[in-house]
Amino acid sequence: MGTENNKGYPKFPARPAPSSSPYASAPPPGIPPPSGGPPTGSDAVGFRPFPPSASQPIRPFTPSGPPPAPQVGAMRPAQPSPFVSQIPGSRPPPPSSNSFPSTAYGPPPPPPPPPGAAPFQRFPSPPFPTTQNPPPQGPPQTLAGHFSPPMSLRPQQQPMAPVTMGPPPQSTTSGLPGANASPSPADFNMAARPGFQQSMPPVTPSYPGVGGSQPSFPGYPSKQVSQPPPMPFQSSQGPPGPPPVSSYPPHTGGFAQRPNIVAQQNLHPSYAPPTSNVQGLVEDFNSLSLASIPGSMEPGLDHRSFPRPLDGDVEPNSFAEMYPMNCHSRYLRLTTSAIPNSQSLASRWHLPLGAVVCPLAETPEGEEVPLIDFGSTGIIRCRRCRTYVNPYVTFTDSGRKWRCNICSMLNDVPGEYFSHLDANGRRMDMDQRPELTKGSVEIIAPTEYMVRPPMPPIYFFLIDVSISATKSGMLEVVAQTIKSCLDNLPGYPRTQIGFITYDSTLHFYNMKSSLSQPQMMVVTDLDDIFLPLPDDLLVNLSESRTVVEAFLDSLPMMFQDNVNVESAFGPALRAAFMVMNQLGGKLLIFQNSLPSLGAGRLKLRGDDPRVYGTDKEYALRVAEDPFYKQMAADCTKFQIGINVYAFSDKYTDIASLGTLAKYTGGQVYYYPGFQSSVHGDKLRHELARDLTRETAWEAVMRIRCGKGIRFTSYHGNFMLRSTDLLALPAVDCDKAYAMQLSLEETLLTTQTVYFQVALLYTASCGERRIRVHTSVAPVVADLGEMYRQADTGSIVSLYARLAIEKSMSAKLDDARNAIQQKIVKALKEYRNLHAVQHRLGSRLIYPETLKFLPLYGLAIIKSTPLQGGPADASLDERCAAGFTMMALPVKKLLKLLYPNLIRVDEWLLKPSADHDDLRDVSNRLPLAAESLDSRGLYIYDDGFRLVLWFGRMLSPDIAKNLLGNDFAAELSRVTFQEQGNGMSKKLMSLVKKLRENDPSYHPMCFLVRQGEQPREGFLLLRHLIEDQMGGSSGYVDWILQLQRQIQQN
Amino acid sequence: MGDLLDWIISFLFLVTLLIIVIYQLTCLADLEFDRKNPFDSSARINRLILPEFGLQGLLCLYYVLTGHWFMAVFSLPHLFYNIRLYVKREHLADVTEIYNTNKWEQKKRVYKIAHIALSIFITSFWLIHSALGDI
Repeated sequence: MGTENNKGYPKFPARPAPSSSPYASAPPPGIPPPSGGPPTGSDAVGFRPFPPSASQPIRPFTPSGPPPAPQVGAMRPAQPSPFVSQIPGSRPPPPSSNSFPSTAYGPPPPPPPPPGAAPFQRFPSPPFPTTQNPPPQGPPQTLAGHFSPPMSLRPQQQPMAPVTMGPPPQSTTSGLPGANASPSPADFNMAARPGFQQSMPPVTPSYPGVGGSQPSFPGYPSKQVSQPPPMPFQSSQGPPGPPPVSSYPPHTGGFAQRPNIVAQQNLHPSYAPPTSNVQGLVEDFNSLSLASIPGSMEPGLDHRSFPRPLDGDVEPNSFAEMYPMNCHSRYLRLTTSAIPNSQSLASRWHLPLGAVVCPLAETPEGEEVPLIDFGSTGIIRCRRCRTYVNPYVTFTDSGRKWRCNICSMLNDVPGEYFSHLDANGRRMDMDQRPELTKGSVEIIAPTEYMVRPPMPPIYFFLIDVSISATKSGMLEVVAQTIKSCLDNLPGYPRTQIGFITYDSTLHFYNMKSSLSQPQMMVVTDLDDIFLPLPDDLLVNLSESRTVVEAFLDSLPMMFQDNVNVESAFGPALRAAFMVMNQLGGKLLIFQNSLPSLGAGRLKLRGDDPRVYGTDKEYALRVAEDPFYKQMAADCTKFQIGINVYAFSDKYTDIASLGTLAKYTGGQVYYYPGFQSSVHGDKLRHELARDLTRETAWEAVMRIRCGKGIRFTSYHGNFMLRSTDLLALPAVDCDKAYAMQLSLEETLLTTQTVYFQVALLYTASCGERRIRVHTSVAPVVADLGEMYRQADTGSIVSLYARLAIEKSMSAKLDDARNAIQQKIVKALKEYRNLHAVQHRLGSRLIYPETLKFLPLYGLAIIKSTPLQGGPADASLDERCAAGFTMMALPVKKLLKLLYPNLIRVDEWLLKPSADHDDLRDVSNRLPLAAESLDSRGLYIYDDGFRLVLWFGRMLSPDIAKNLLGNDFAAELSRVTFQEQGNGMSKKLMSLVKKLRENDPSYHPMCFLVRQGEQPREGFLLLRHLIEDQMGGSSGYVDWILQLQRQIQQN
Repeated sequence: MGDLLDWIISFLFLVTLLIIVIYQLTCLADLEFDRKNPFDSSARINRLILPEFGLQGLLCLYYVLTGHWFMAVFSLPHLFYNIRLYVKREHLADVTEIYNTNKWEQKKRVYKIAHIALSIFITSFWLIHSALGDI
């Protein structure tokens, strides 16, 4: 790590300070004050308010303040380097480190002066701090913000000096008197809101008279007034550092002397990216400053400047760089990469503490997980805690022993595995051992890891053939798709396959390879199910290939004239269970109506609006009959994974059917009102994907972690087989699992905590394998650092799962409120962290890493499973979406929550017929009605649906080119197909591309014209989550609401 | 003499009940410490739930029939709670969620045990009282 850190440092200096680019621009410390200065100045202004407040309460800052002052003075010299802030804490070092905050940190470690020391304590391990800071990449912002930014900015922001002090305190904070509070400054990324800026200006003036600065606020107003205008702009514009600069230059000059505190904050906001640490989103309410600034913008809120995840999910990669041996974030994402060291600290972190694991995530070409065979050596594992050997174990005693990184146990190295150590204590054969260099490996498991011979891939189909199945064309599509996939089923030649069809009776098929045609056997006794044949209901595909094909060819015909409307679903499920329970496998159920006969028959609970809002509401969303849970448990026990495909346009009680999928690690596919002409493609693609994707069979998964913490709850589609063992009969790359951890009472004394996910499974080829992902995270004693390392993606993923689970035991309203309360608590804690040092006024502040949290929170509340009341989504849709979201990996979930909205008409008109210039259309727009121009053509893509929205005033040429002669017709009746002209081809290639981006689901294409009600509202408007719809609030209201609650005590 | 018999019988009822609930509790505890799998554990627990509820109901009825009003009233809350669980179909341990509900299931049984133990205490007091009184 140390080395890594070092590397990190250098980077800082290097950081480009592209002030212009909002993010990138983490203003490099090195950058000349001028450039950064101006912006900072503006920002600073915003901050100033803080400084005053901060200065008063907080000694640290007290640039003017008596005690700190000296430091400050000292610092100032150094200030040239942004680090000033840090300096306060670590006075001596700062100067040297002046280069960057990071440096600042570095110094602290060595001789941390008492004051500074405290801060360092946090980073006790100097490396961490450094590493953290450096965290290069995207993080630069944050990191920079925390550390370097301050430095760089500060100089510019001079006026902010007091403020700067504040930031430094953060780093140093621990050391400082108001340890906790101090750290925050950096963290705050003050919002770049206009409001702040306004305030900022005043600050500058005040600074001159440091002492009076605090009081200076009053003064601010006046100054603000003058300055405000510019500031606001800057803030709103964000990056536009230059403009602000001009206005502020003077300030900056003044500030320059001072620490950059203010500047940092302010700048950050505007430059948010750079300062990352301090992004504060400022929401102005009644505050004077707001009023003055907004003068131009009425409400004082510029919702355009609200943070939006238009770049999609940004993976936290700071740690990937810091710990290059960690597994990739596609496999394991922690909600915060800084683990609290005590229960009390964890309890102040109101966000979830846990991880989202996607053990089989798809890997891009060239990054496949290495496969390792330990052969006769046996798998190297810790004797005590059973951890698998990984890159973080250390070898000692000349290579004869190794120390487990999780439990510190000293283990013997088996003779065959022995290797000499080099001078650095590294094994000589390191390069040939991927398990010692890679965070993700796959190990071939010997027979000790099997309780029976590895099972072959088994696909069993349970198909409803009642009248609705034939009429809708479902049967035909399913039969064709299965037939077309027979060649691609994994595991040839061991793959086994079998079928049962049912309506009011059960039909079994003998597919013995010696037959030329399958034999059908009908069982009518639903109460006492028996299998008409002991064998041959489940056959080897390669041997019985012709029989299977003959069956699939004739299946649609056989039931063509079936008029049976009943569905003996429960008995059919039992029969399938009896066929499969010898080996397990995957059971695909195609259900067209409400189960009406035999065990497990369901009532038409329907969507009774009267039940909503009462205490019984949740009962609609859980399985009605215990039969389903019991069957699910039995199936899991016998390694049967169930995927449910539901097609009915009427109520089919997905809540009950989905339970089968939930507890067997499966999925629910729901096609309401299935019509083969409309949904055929979607079903074909999704079924094909389900059948052909690489699948891990009879799997169990466990996640281990270091002493002092443990995983306590798990969320997703699976069943727990013991307290920490997830049973996953069939798992694939589209499934992710979330878990929460808790701390034990003892203080964590180690500097890092290790996590190891192990998935033991049978590959389709018949090999038993263990996939091991190892990751490490530092332990911190500072709440601010936890916020800095937070990962919005996995937090949101966990929140969504918690909310959906909550909706199964409480009212929707309660589930939504719970999410809101959690966000409020977290932001309030964050605010308190910083409130001591800064006058926060009516601003909403949040760390850079969580800038999208409020918006995603809103998106969760408006997601299909949780939105509105009975009228907003049918019960089945809700439940189906809930089951789906419980399994989605982080990226797909985020896309579903905040879908892509892109405008394509201009791109289509561009002459460049090059179909590859898709980058031009990757410009995502905010999800608000005002993004839609009636002259445009837009695509809305949430990964499950594509909606093409035709503006009312869209040029008829475009419409005609794309839709052919139907262009004026009602779009619900128009089928979207290629029209044979360039523009249409171009659009089709775009649609294809969008679909290929995520093959796990096949988004259906819907066309809708502006003003075509109610389709427009249903397809698109309701999903514009930033708008106010029905009883739910829009983004602006939501932020105001949060802010109001945060300020209430 | 009849009174003594009443108390002895109800005492036996209570002891059986106590044993059943303690057994369920140990099953849950075993589960928590990974000594059993959830399938077996929940099957064992669920097998005993209806007998437990039945026994408790019988005991109440017995108190009423023999005119021990105080004891009848004392065991009413327990009965009421059982009936409520049964009506809501929440009386059986849910094998799929048993790890998530384990804490609450255990707590529930600890309270039941406390209630039964109190009943046993009172019953044994009356048992001894009536035994001595007869002499």
